Amino acid sequence: MHEVSIAQSLLDIVLSECKKAGYKRVNSVSLLIGEASGVQIDSLRFAFDIIKRDTPAEGAKLLITTSPLTGKCLDCACLFYPRGDVVFECPKCSGKNLRMIKGKELDIVEIDVD
Amino acid sequence: MKVKVVSRILQANDRLADENRRLFKEKGVYVINLMSAPGAGKTTLIVETIKALKDRVSIGVVEGDIVGTDDAERIDSLGIPVVQINTHGACHLDANMVREVLDELPLQDIRLLIVENVGNLVCPAEFNIGEDMKVMLLSVSEGDDKPGKYPLMFQESSALLINKIDLLPYLDIDIERIKSTARALNPEIEIIELSCKTGQGMDRWVTFLEEKLQI
Repeated sequence: MHEVSIAQSLLDIVLSECKKAGYKRVNSVSLLIGEASGVQIDSLRFAFDIIKRDTPAEGAKLLITTSPLTGKCLDCACLFYPRGDVVFECPKCSGKNLRMIKGKELDIVEIDVD
Repeated sequence: MKVKVVSRILQANDRLADENRRLFKEKGVYVINLMSAPGAGKTTLIVETIKALKDRVSIGVVEGDIVGTDDAERIDSLGIPVVQINTHGACHLDANMVREVLDELPLQDIRLLIVENVGNLVCPAEFNIGEDMKVMLLSVSEGDDKPGKYPLMFQESSALLINKIDLLPYLDIDIERIKSTARALNPEIEIIELSCKTGQGMDRWVTFLEEKLQI
């Protein structure tokens, strides 16, 4: 339930970009959110819609791209995509040296401004 | 007009965590971020750790709770500097909350600072507070499926303390399953089985801390 603080950080970053460069209005904010970031996207949209009021981002839409959880086996270098269950061994070589290389992102990628 | 931004949304927290880390380093304070579900025994672990180490190490405690000061009072009664953070609903401590109370602690006199996070197996793992080490406490009565259900907590922690092992004869849980799942999630994790109530295993935890503190 920390989507409100995430929405606040997001708004702070966007508004500070506006202030720095003198943009008047934010039309949209593009985000990259990993499946395993723990963020509830509906809650994030809800929180952002409330806190953006009376700011230059009042009319801003959130354009969200999700990033699938992606693992890499350090033994055979193959990539795999855990679905639901936690993966403990490489589906190809059964190696145990696994690293998650994508899927935890919580990034602002781009803003559309006037 | 489209403008590239590319920044981590939690970077503000990370930046504050780095500032906390610099301050801790400057004052020579080793910081543990202690995380667990509610009722796993965090405060009891802190009390027992204080009893075992306080003659050799100066200790301070930050207590994070949604409301109340019960935990801080337990620590205060041991004569240890303690400051309470009430998060008023927030499910975790963040770097800013910790920073705001640091002035209330005599940091220059503290070697080991234990920060008791809000009882929760999800969010605390996502927010750095400037700690040297994240430690998670899991009590056996929570069940042996928890590492698989809350993987991030186990991946982020340097040590897993399995508490309340005195209850094992009364429970249908497989402690080996907890350990093997935790190691699969995090091959480097240090696992220590203990009971804060009987004292079993506490010596291994204390030795582990002594090594970290180089005493």
